[in-house]
Parts: sequence; C-alpha cells; structure tokens
Amino acid sequence: METGNLILCVITAMILDISALVLILSTYFEKLDGKKRWKKIGNDMELVEPGITYALESDEVLIGRHGSVDIRLPDLSVSRYHAIMTVCNGIWTIQALNPKAPILVNGQRISKTKLKEYDVIQIGTYKLQIRKRRRQNGNNNR
Amino acid sequence: MKSIKRSLRLVSIIVFAFIAGMIMLVLKIQKEASFYISHSNTAQLGFVYDRNGEILFDSKATPETYGENYFIDVGNLIGDAKGQMTNTLVANNIEKLNNYSFSMGLVSKDGKSSIHTSLDHYANRKVYDSFGTSKGCAVAYDYKTGEILVCTSLPSFDVTKGYADIENFETGTLISKVMYGTVPGSTQKVSTLLSAFQIMGKDKLFSKSYTCNGIYMNKGGNEIVCHNSYGHGTQNIQQAFQNSCNPFFAQLVEDDDMPLENIIKCYEKMGYAVNDDKEQYFDINGIKCERASTTLKDSYEFNTQWGCIGQGETLVSPMQLMMWQSGIANQTGKMTMPYLIKYTTNVENEIGDWAETSYSEEVFTPESSTEVRQIMLENGKNYSESISGYNIGIKSGTAQIKDGEEENSLLVGFIEDERHPIAFCVLLENKNNSDTRSENIVKTMLDALCQ
Amino acid sequence: METTTGKVKYVFSAIFVLISHLAMLTNMFYNGNCDPSNMNKFVILAITVIGLDILYFIAMLFFKQSTYTIDFMLIFILNISLIFQSSFGGISLSVKHLVTCIASLISCRLGFILCRNHKWIQAKKKAFYIATGIIMLCILTLTGSRSMWIDLGFFTIQPSEFLKPAFILVCTTYILEQQNKISVWKFNIVPENLICTGFIILICGLQWWCRDLGSLPTFVAIYLCGLCARLCYPKAKLSKKMIITGIASLAVLAITAIILAPPYVKSRLFVDIWNDTSGDGYQQSQALIAIANGGWFGKGAGNGDLHNIFAYETDLVFASICEEWGLFFAIMVVCAILIMLASPLVNPPRSYFHATLATGVCSAFVVQMALNIFGSCNMIPFTGVTVPFISQGGSSMVTCGFMMGMLIAGQSPVFKNPTNNKKKKVKSK
Repeated sequence: METGNLILCVITAMILDISALVLILSTYFEKLDGKKRWKKIGNDMELVEPGITYALESDEVLIGRHGSVDIRLPDLSVSRYHAIMTVCNGIWTIQALNPKAPILVNGQRISKTKLKEYDVIQIGTYKLQIRKRRRQNGNNNR
Repeated sequence: MKSIKRSLRLVSIIVFAFIAGMIMLVLKIQKEASFYISHSNTAQLGFVYDRNGEILFDSKATPETYGENYFIDVGNLIGDAKGQMTNTLVANNIEKLNNYSFSMGLVSKDGKSSIHTSLDHYANRKVYDSFGTSKGCAVAYDYKTGEILVCTSLPSFDVTKGYADIENFETGTLISKVMYGTVPGSTQKVSTLLSAFQIMGKDKLFSKSYTCNGIYMNKGGNEIVCHNSYGHGTQNIQQAFQNSCNPFFAQLVEDDDMPLENIIKCYEKMGYAVNDDKEQYFDINGIKCERASTTLKDSYEFNTQWGCIGQGETLVSPMQLMMWQSGIANQTGKMTMPYLIKYTTNVENEIGDWAETSYSEEVFTPESSTEVRQIMLENGKNYSESISGYNIGIKSGTAQIKDGEEENSLLVGFIEDERHPIAFCVLLENKNNSDTRSENIVKTMLDALCQ
Repeated sequence: METTTGKVKYVFSAIFVLISHLAMLTNMFYNGNCDPSNMNKFVILAITVIGLDILYFIAMLFFKQSTYTIDFMLIFILNISLIFQSSFGGISLSVKHLVTCIASLISCRLGFILCRNHKWIQAKKKAFYIATGIIMLCILTLTGSRSMWIDLGFFTIQPSEFLKPAFILVCTTYILEQQNKISVWKFNIVPENLICTGFIILICGLQWWCRDLGSLPTFVAIYLCGLCARLCYPKAKLSKKMIITGIASLAVLAITAIILAPPYVKSRLFVDIWNDTSGDGYQQSQALIAIANGGWFGKGAGNGDLHNIFAYETDLVFASICEEWGLFFAIMVVCAILIMLASPLVNPPRSYFHATLATGVCSAFVVQMALNIFGSCNMIPFTGVTVPFISQGGSSMVTCGFMMGMLIAGQSPVFKNPTNNKKKKVKSK
C-alpha cells in the first residue's frame, strides 16, 4: 500500500477514535446535568442528624444497621434493614421493612408514609430530619 | 447508591476482562500472523541457501530454470512447500521462509526471507553422485560446531518436477534415511565398547581375552557365527575390535564383569530406548529424527547378544551414529548437537535465529571416549589405502537385512584434523550388488569437504 | 436539551458522528475497490449513510431525554457497521443490513420507552415471566430440536435472540423486592430469586435440546450478573466467599458439561485447526489467514477475499473487517462498542433496577463479542454467535437495539408511580 493511502487509513481510524472519545466526554459533561436533574426529581432533600447529613442520591435508600445499607445507623436499637426511602415526583416516602422494628414520624408510629419537609423520623435511638439541602457557597439552584 | 455502585463495579470488571482478552488477541495475532500466512495459498516463500550462498530451495523453481535434478541431492531433506513430505526442513520451518510481516503485509517481489543452511551443496552433490546406481545415505558434520555439511539420501527425486510420477517412486524416496533407524551392524560395537570401558575400566578390559573359532556356542545354547569362518583365535579387545569379531563380543556380554543392567544403563545414557516399543524422536531444526532403540533381556540370550553386536532388534539412525562419533572425537563424552540452519533472514533482511553450538549431557565418560578414540584411530590405519590422506578413526559395519538376503555396509568415524573436524556416517545398501564401496563414498566426501 | 449548552452539545456530537462517517467514506473512496464502473454504488452508499445520520438526528429531537450520548454512539456504530457490511467483497449498499439497522433503531426506542420508568416496569414484572415463557414455548414448538431458526418464508427469525432481552428483564431486581423474604426451613429465601434460577435451568435445558450451545454462555453470564446483583447486595460481607464458591461451582459445572458433552460438541471444543484446514478448521484458518493478510491497515474496502467463506458477514465478521479495514480499525470499532457499554460508569443510573439492567446488557454484549471474536481467532472454541451491531442478522440487530434502549433508559429515567398519572410538578414549600 502506498504511503499516502496508509496515512489516510491512520487518519480515518484516528478520527473514528476521537469521535468516540468526544462522545464519551460529552457524557462526562452530562453527568453534571444529571446531578441537576436528580435534584429536581429528588427535590434536593437530605437527611440530617445532629452533626451528620446524609445525601439522598438515588431511588430506594436503605436505612439500617447492616454494612451494606446506604444510611448506616450502627446501634442495636436499629434493625439490620430497618426502613427504605423511595422517591416519586419529588416526594419522598418512607416505608418500614421489619414489622417488629418501628419507625416514628413526628412521634407517630407508621408503616408507610409520605414525608414533608422538616419531618422528624425516629429510627431506634436516632432522630433524623428531612429538609432541603443547604449549601455553604450559596449557589442557588433553579 | 452503594448498591448501584457495586453493580457498576461488575460492569467495569466485565469490560476490563474483555479488554485484557483483546490485548492478548492482538499479541497473539502479531506473533502468529506469519504462521497463518504460511498456510495460505498466496504465501510468498523465500530461498534456502547452502553455506556458500547456493540456492537449495526456490518455491518457483522449474526444471528449466535450474536444470534437471539440480536439487536432487537434497530433495528429501530440504523438501518443498507442497505438503507431501512432512519431515523436511522447508515443511517444518515454513514460517521462516515467509515473505510477510504484519505491518508490511505480503511482499511478493523483494522479500528477503531466507534460511541459510550449513550444508555444502558441492560436497553433497559429489557424495550423491558417488553412490552411482546404489542406494543409501550419507551424513557428515563438523564435530566442533555442529554444522551439518553433507546430508543426502538415495533414492531421491527432483522436487521441481512435482509429484505427478509419485506411483513410480521407489520406497524411501520421500524420506531422508539419515533420520530413520537402520540396523547398525558392527558399528554397534562402538557403543558396546564404550559401555565396556565404563563398566570394567580400562585395565580390566584390556586384560580380558577370548578365543574365536569361527562359531561360538553361547551359554544359552545358540550359535554366534563370526564372519571369518576360520576364526580369529585368541584376541584382546583392540584386536577383536579391528577384526570386528562377533564371538568375542558375545563372550564379553556374557562375562560376569559385564552385568546386563549396567549395559542397559550405559545404553540408555547414550540415548537408546531400551526395551521400549514406543517410537521416540529428537529434533534437528524441526526435523524429527528417530532415537536409537534396542531390546536387551538376558545376557545369555541370543537376541540380546546380537543386540550388542549390532543385529537383532537394534535400530539406530545414521544421524545418531554420527553424533556419538563427536563425543568420541572431542574426547568429552558429550555429543555436539547437529544443526542445519545457520541463520535466517526476515522479510526486511534482518538476520535472526543465529545457530549456536550446543552440547548434550555427558552420554559416556570422557575417559572411555579417549580409549575408544585411540582404538578407532588404530583401526583407521587399516584404511590408509582406501581412504588415503586422512588421520581417520573408523568402524565399519555390515548389517544383514531381509533375513540375510541383503547386506548393508556402514562406515562411521571421524577425522583428526584441526581445520576439518568432520564426523560422518555412510550407509550403502545392498553392498554385494553395488558397483561402489562405502570407503569410496567416504573418500569422496572427505575430499570434497577438505579440498 | 432544555438548556443552550445542551443544544450546543447535541449539534457538536452530531457533527462529530458525521465527520467520522465521512472520514470512513473518504478512506473507502481512495483505498477501496472504487473504480468508475461501480462509482454509482459508492455514491448510493454514501448518500444512504449520511442521510440516515441526518434523519436520525432530526428524529431524535422529538424524544425528550436527559442525555443523548448512547443514541449518538448507536447511530455512529450502526452506520459504521452498514459501511462494513456494504464493503465486503465489493462495494454495494447492503439493503438488508440497512433495513435491519433501521429496525434496530426503532426497537431501541421501544426498549427505551418500555424501561425508562422503573417503577412502572417493576410492577409489571409478572408480564416478563409470561413473555419469556411464551418465547421459550415458541422455541420448543416452532424451531424443532435441531434448528434455531423459524422460517417465515421471506425471512427467518432466531427466537433465542429475543429470549436475551426478556431474560435480562427477568434477571433485573430492585431493593424492595429483595427485602421480601419468606422463611423455608430456617432459610430466608427471596421467591423472586428462585424464579430467576428456575428460568436459567429451563433455558439451559432448552438450548441443549435445540443444539444452540453458542448462545448458552450469554444466558449464563446474564444470570450470573443477576445473581451477583442479588447476593452481593443484601449480604455484602459474604460476597467474596459467595463469589468464590460461585466461580468454583461454575468451573465444576463447565468441566462436567465438557465431559458429558455429545461428540459433535467435543469435536468442536478440541480441534487443531491447522491440522485440518480443509475440514473443521476451514473457517477459522481462513479467517486467521485473512487477518494476517489484512495487517494493521487492511487491503482496502471491497478488496477482501474472505467473502467466499461461509458466514463471513456474521460469525467471521471480525476477520472480514480485519482483512479489508485492518486490525487497527477493527479494534477501534470494538472499543467504540465498549465505550457505549461503559457509559453507565460515567453517568450512573439512579435506581437499582436500572443498574442491574445495565449489568445484564453489558454482560450479554461483552460475552457475545468475546465468543465471536476470540472464537473466530481460535483462542476459545468457535461458536456461531454474532457480534452485536456489526454482524448481519435481523433478529440479532433488533434485540441488540432493544438492549441498547434499556441502557438509554437507565441514563434518562423517569420517576413516576404506576398508579399516579399526574404530570410532575414543582413542589411548593
């Protein structure tokens, strides 16, 4: 094969690869957009315990004592898989997984309920409050 | 989120495993592409050269371009790429001849792939011609470096003419007899002598003497016949070796100082497959060469004694007979390993695969090799007329085949010459109906190599 | 797409896809088998490729999605594969492949619409059990025990391909489902896992009966990924032990399968292709020779010789590409498919259902590619599976498109309750 044709081959393959790379890079930028979208879906809520905040980053957030859960509350008063939080249309719902392990929302024992902002969830000895995420840098979301 | 991350980790493991596989694939293709191409119909093969740059193989050769029978002396050793012969140099090293590289692709015109062999086409041709109408084979190599200089086998054929006439080929045309076992005859006595030196030691062996009356009745009650029907009388080992006296060696094997298990041990060290039915091979540049084999059951038994004398079930390839000579000639007890390919060049004329001289393990003790060397040189003085001009160490052999109907003549030996350290083995089939003698072939060969 | 940056990105990506296709066509024009006599064929191909690109870009504007990356990758790969398939053994537009490409794009949309709302599809899980069962029944009744195709006269369908996305959906799970345990003899068992295991056993038996052992590894891989997603989640601390036992038992299973395999399978598993270049090893040895002939940059489009070999456009497609376009190019295309599969790593899904969906799709694609590419290159036994999107074959293209749709769904999910049909609205404080 002639040199010119060889160079053409190389260039074509390179363009192909660069295009693929550009496309995947655009995914990376979209990741930032994805976070924004998630804020919209999840209503940008977080769970707050005095001193600690837990971000709600995906649907189906598990709360419990086991090592594999998303929000781990290491105390024997908490069941291994105690509760699950799901989101729908920006409204978070909490649901008890173990009938023997109670959840109190605003002091009332429930098995499943929708949460409003500033509701206090009591799981075992822990008290968690759900509220809008607060930022240090004050960069307001839309 | 934890669970999602965990399952994504699974995705990355799968993807990376696949990427690893792809890398392996690319490396494999890189490495083996030349091999793949050599199996295709479009392969462009380079040349095989002899040590002086003469062409020994050209894939495009016709009888017209090179003249008829130009390659006939190496026909069944170098072979061709047509796939009929499998145990040839070209068939087993075809990827080295391939004018191809993965980055350049097939190179049809100016490819420089080649194999440079150590053969001497001139001498090879002379040796081939010296056989005349007889059949047989001859092999010679440099026992210091291991370069095979002469290797020819008759009958042979002209590869440029192809296989159209294959039905009329004589048996053995398509193989190089050098690589296959043959009855060694009295040349086997070299092995037995080496074993005797190792088992008894020099002094004890020289003190032994046995009587030969032409026929010896062994302890098992069978007759061992000597080729001299009048008998050789009482002889020591030196005389018996020169006379090639069968009764002497039969009695030596029977001797209580030569236990059979020690003989077997010595033989096995030399590379014999003793009492083993399986065919075994060793490798010379991809060409398979049969290993020596024999059957030794009982010291007093007829077959065992004949096995040590060189008849019976003993089979040794001429190549291996010659290799033992290197251990004797070098007085090291280690064989110089022979090779055919000196070096190769790839498509861009880069030299690779430089051959290096290598030696085997010690197959017999250096002391025994010194003694045997002396005895063989002494024996060589008897050939000062037929093979004149060389300080030669030699052992002749006559092998009876086809139940004694035909006799093959064998000569193994070496010459003591600093400039031309040559060990050789010549096999002349059916010597009684031949118009030449094996001595003449050796003489021709040495003259051609040492001119 | 709501923002201006989104629009810029969309146009930018579209331009890059177009540039790469144009580059390939230019390469084809100069290096390929493009003499004046078949110039018109080349022009038709070029117009088709570019036209399909532009039409797709316009059509995509009607779908509101959060990200379009996989969509761009999909058209990128599909048109590359169309160019490949049109070049084997001479340039002319492969109409059959064009039709299957369009079908694939449509089924991709279907897959996306079906899977984007995980809450809805989670609730419909029983439907997938039924669908899988129906497909299996179809295989059992319609294909016969020695074939894997249903002949419809003008085209043939390979139902085992359709089983793949159905089985991926069966193997998906979500966290709430895994919490639903029942106690049987002191063991806490999730009934859904049992159903899933039952399905894989049935599928294995069915594939064995159909002599379609080539796609068996794909199903096993999908199942294993599903199993991992099930076992590793609730019992994370046991996961290592579990994985090791799983691998060990799988190895034992594979060895027994090899020992018990019928002779025709065994002869396929252990074949020295170079000793039998005219018999069993014919395809593979020709494929390897073709790869070696192609070298790094190939012989040029339309100049290959491999199109004389059976299955050059399906099973041996990797070798065909290598011969005409070069190993470098073939690797690039495989990388593009891998990048497409890896996009969930960059932009992670937001629900476990979509995450397990992504693992299933990824394992199915990678295992198929591995079986085909490594098989045709004699690294592993040669099986008749296709490379997703690159090989010709209607059933395969449609199902691969569907599976890609599942992957897109994970990137642009919708969160709605199945019972709640109200539009999403801004919540008031």
